[in-house]
Amino acid sequence: MPTDTRRIRGPEVSQSPSLFQCGPAVVPPSHGARADGRQRDQVDVRPVFVRCGLVSQAKGSAYIEAGDTKLLCSVYGPKETERKDETDMKCGRLTTDMRFAPFSCPERGSWIQGSQSKSFSLMLQESLQPALCLHKYPRSQIEVNVMVLENSGSVQAHAITCASLALADAGIEMYDLVLGCSIRQDGSSYVVDPTYLEENNWSSSEHQGGLTVAFLPSLNQVSGLQSDGEMTEETLSAGIRTCIEGCYKLYPVIQQALVKAVRRAAPPPPES
Amino acid sequence: MATVKVSEAEKVYILHGIRDDLRVDGRSCEDYRHMEVETDVVSNTDGSARVSLGHTAVLVGIKAEIGKPRPLVPDEGYLEFFVDCSANATPEFEGRGGEELGIELSNTLYRVFNNKSSVDLQSLCISAGEHCWVLYVDVLLLQCDGNLYDAISVAIKAALFNTKIPRVHVSSDEEGGKEVELSDDPFDCVRLNVESVPCIVTLCKVGHRHVVDATLQEKACSVASLIIAVTHRGTVTCAKKVGGGSLDPESVFEMTEAGKRVGKALHAPLMKLLQQEESLGKKRQKVGFLG
Repeated sequence: MPTDTRRIRGPEVSQSPSLFQCGPAVVPPSHGARADGRQRDQVDVRPVFVRCGLVSQAKGSAYIEAGDTKLLCSVYGPKETERKDETDMKCGRLTTDMRFAPFSCPERGSWIQGSQSKSFSLMLQESLQPALCLHKYPRSQIEVNVMVLENSGSVQAHAITCASLALADAGIEMYDLVLGCSIRQDGSSYVVDPTYLEENNWSSSEHQGGLTVAFLPSLNQVSGLQSDGEMTEETLSAGIRTCIEGCYKLYPVIQQALVKAVRRAAPPPPES
Repeated sequence: MATVKVSEAEKVYILHGIRDDLRVDGRSCEDYRHMEVETDVVSNTDGSARVSLGHTAVLVGIKAEIGKPRPLVPDEGYLEFFVDCSANATPEFEGRGGEELGIELSNTLYRVFNNKSSVDLQSLCISAGEHCWVLYVDVLLLQCDGNLYDAISVAIKAALFNTKIPRVHVSSDEEGGKEVELSDDPFDCVRLNVESVPCIVTLCKVGHRHVVDATLQEKACSVASLIIAVTHRGTVTCAKKVGGGSLDPESVFEMTEAGKRVGKALHAPLMKLLQQEESLGKKRQKVGFLG
């Protein structure tokens, strides 16, 4: 894979001890209940903890925890853009950067491969762009930085949710919140909001794959879609419908968190 | 991507035409442009193919090298993709300009081939844990007129069909180590089974309809596109939305269904053409780049 020449990794002489495991790796079962007690074949997302306004230096920020997955997002801007010659004078520009902490995954540094992190950032940008009123910020740049502190599955989906929450916290004008949801298809059954083990389990069944969808609930628009593995087209469509349902389930929680953050930041009503 | 500036009047013209299933060059919404495929164009590679789709021209070269297998899958070989956007295509690609597009295209190719059945990776293993074949698939963009994903995927399929991997056998020497020996006959080689290699179909949403194989002008009128990689059996190995706009869920379902239909129909004529070209052998007329 093309590596990122700007970030210096350590020397490649060390290996993770999990490669030297004696017995076969623990394979999560493909039928019956999931490891954390949730149901398969049902829209059972992990309970989510969100909080806005954690990073004091940033214009807006958000922190999301879903199961063991932890993400932090901060938004800077709108600020004057550096490269004036390329800017479209009529609307602003959104730049995204999604990074993984080296200790976030079971194998150290496995995500610090520049091109893979680029593809996450690109999907984040494509998912957020339709929701922002960029025409209201001409000649400006809005920066979104997502840092994954712990990767325990469906990182892309939660990053999208976290980023749109941080943008709302920063006061950037938006048409709607963008929510993300992902599923993992394994043969004939699917699991919503998979954990790391469920995501990386390559069992021997015919059709398995993962799907991440970014959705704008009030406008009923799909702003991001990414799938890999192999699935039939009917499974893909059913998976998209399931993800949309998952997004609707998450919507009230995110709205609540945003309202709480606005209340906290607003000045108290004057004593009359 | 190389872009063209389209005026408002042109946009309206293209939009209205597509609404009535008539595109600027007379095609219907699901027709491809004239496609030419030729394999074995570069003699230094183990497999190569040239595809020209309208004015888009792509050259793929595959080289097979012996390397160490990945630690997690010791009994499989692997493929490495690299897309180079040459400055020949447009001046925007000069220097590092084409790097971003190249990385995006390679990442999508990794995603498309990231499954068990596209290429039989276990046939690329020489000795488990020590030696395996690594296929370096290098894509060169020569001319850019829209619809890069489709042209690249057809070229990769043709180049993989054309790839001749030399036959090796492993022998153990005196100290017990393994030695890899190439067979003496230069024509003794292994071919790959490319039946399940997927083809990518790009569908651009223009107005309320979608078009297959959009030119640069049509791309400038669309806000979002859907890329879908389909095998000959109709399984989808990758679906991705690109572009800065959003899509209605109903459009997404419509587009995936159309993409699957178009993609599935692409495989049979392509395989027939490749087999026909192969069967001509020495008598084949080489067209090359100036034909």
